[in-house]
Amino acid sequence: MRGLTSWIILGLTLTFLIGPFLIIILAGASGGPSLAFPPDGLSLKWYAKVFTVESFRASFLLSMFLAVFGTLAALLLGIPAAYALNRYKLPGDETIRMIVAAPIIVPGIIVGLALLRYLVVPLDFTVTVALFLAHTALVLPYAVRVVSASLHNLRADIEEAAVLLGCSRLGAFMRVVLPNIRGGVLAAFILGFVTSFNQVPVSLFLSGPGVRTLPIDMLAYMEITYDPSVAALSALLAFLSLAIVFAAERLLGFSRYV
Amino acid sequence: MFLNTREGLALALPAAVFSFLLFLVPVGILLSEAFRVDGGWSLGGYVEFFSKPLNQTVFFRTLKLGVLVTLTAAVIGYAAAICIVNLGPTTRGRVFGLVVLPLMISPVARTYAWIVILGRTGIVNDAIVGLGLSDTPIRLLFTETAVFLGLLQLFLPLMIISLVSAMENIPKDLIPAARVLGANWLQVFFRVILPLTREGLVIGGTLVFTGALTAYITPAILGGSKVLMLETLLYQRVNVSNDFVSASVIAMILIVMSFSANLLLRRIATARR
Repeated sequence: MRGLTSWIILGLTLTFLIGPFLIIILAGASGGPSLAFPPDGLSLKWYAKVFTVESFRASFLLSMFLAVFGTLAALLLGIPAAYALNRYKLPGDETIRMIVAAPIIVPGIIVGLALLRYLVVPLDFTVTVALFLAHTALVLPYAVRVVSASLHNLRADIEEAAVLLGCSRLGAFMRVVLPNIRGGVLAAFILGFVTSFNQVPVSLFLSGPGVRTLPIDMLAYMEITYDPSVAALSALLAFLSLAIVFAAERLLGFSRYV
Repeated sequence: MFLNTREGLALALPAAVFSFLLFLVPVGILLSEAFRVDGGWSLGGYVEFFSKPLNQTVFFRTLKLGVLVTLTAAVIGYAAAICIVNLGPTTRGRVFGLVVLPLMISPVARTYAWIVILGRTGIVNDAIVGLGLSDTPIRLLFTETAVFLGLLQLFLPLMIISLVSAMENIPKDLIPAARVLGANWLQVFFRVILPLTREGLVIGGTLVFTGALTAYITPAILGGSKVLMLETLLYQRVNVSNDFVSASVIAMILIVMSFSANLLLRRIATARR
């Protein structure tokens, strides 16, 4: 009896959490002209239409660019910082930790507005550069945290041994530390990628005419059109994120790091 | 542990300086803007913001929805977490995976589903009209209920994850022991499970409350201009009326609310034993 109750609770919770996706996938496969569930007949035309919308293509590429290069930049800044915070005795390390973690704590919409007002406008940055910097700052806390966790689990003596055996400090890092934390680095990359790709509030104010990230473009599109293509696109994006996460889980047990 | 401070700082400072210049400085200036209304320093921006009835409504609505979403997530979260922890290892992993899964998917996609469910031609309205409960579709979108449901679906996984990891640390035989000694299920929950999972509740509660408070997409799509929340109000103030003083006030409110929620929950967690 207890088993049954527990499955009912879990069933309801999972239906609430997952059910909407199944609906989105089906609503995108509607044969009719407007959004409906159950769909009026099944067809893949809306899934096909997604690829023909010019603005979706441009914004998808921009989002991809930001997610890949913003995350790489964050790792470039974050890995040395995580290493220093873990292996060195630094004055004010708590302050450094707090400054680096700060972008997580402050709501994204405020970050976006602040960057627009006090960085983009006075310094005359282009929107793309501003978006790139904002996404880097946003991913940096995750990069530092995940890489830190991975460094924490790696014993410091093995690189000390490498140095004692005549390896240079940089060589010890490249040949001993980095190969051992590559799982954590990849996990940080995936987490950063997903975070950046799905990010809305930060990009809200920073998007200019013709320069929009994909989620912002979808928001704008659904305000003017009520056809199932946004549902189809949402479903495709969901599959994309899931494929990335599953591949990562299979390859290296992603969930150990997050 | 290396002791060469200069080398360590050289590695850590680029990230810190980047975050400081690109993040703390602009946000700091933005927050200070509300205090510099007529050339001098004053609280005028705050007084004016709170004197407008619309702003008050939005403020209390955001607070109310945040609290409601957090409480509901805690109740469902405990029920789900208790069930998940009792599953066998393989099933537990799978169910847990299904709970985490939505977090990887775009919030726009997750919120958009509710339009299909709650819209004029959505499932719920079809059922209502089909069953003859009403002749015409009822307005379900652009209501507080819609925003509530959207936020709950968005943030419930965070609560479940926090509670599951807290409950995994409870020794396995503690609950049967309490039962054998005569505690009923309510007593087991309030006197064994709750005290031992407070830390998880604090983390989950802070994540859900802060998330609900600072979500933009959900109120924008499901609430529109009929159910404004602080985030959507901020966007409107800036984009429609170029009112940066209000934006700065709202920014401060959001940050203060997030921090106080965390402090308050921490207090509750450490109170009573």
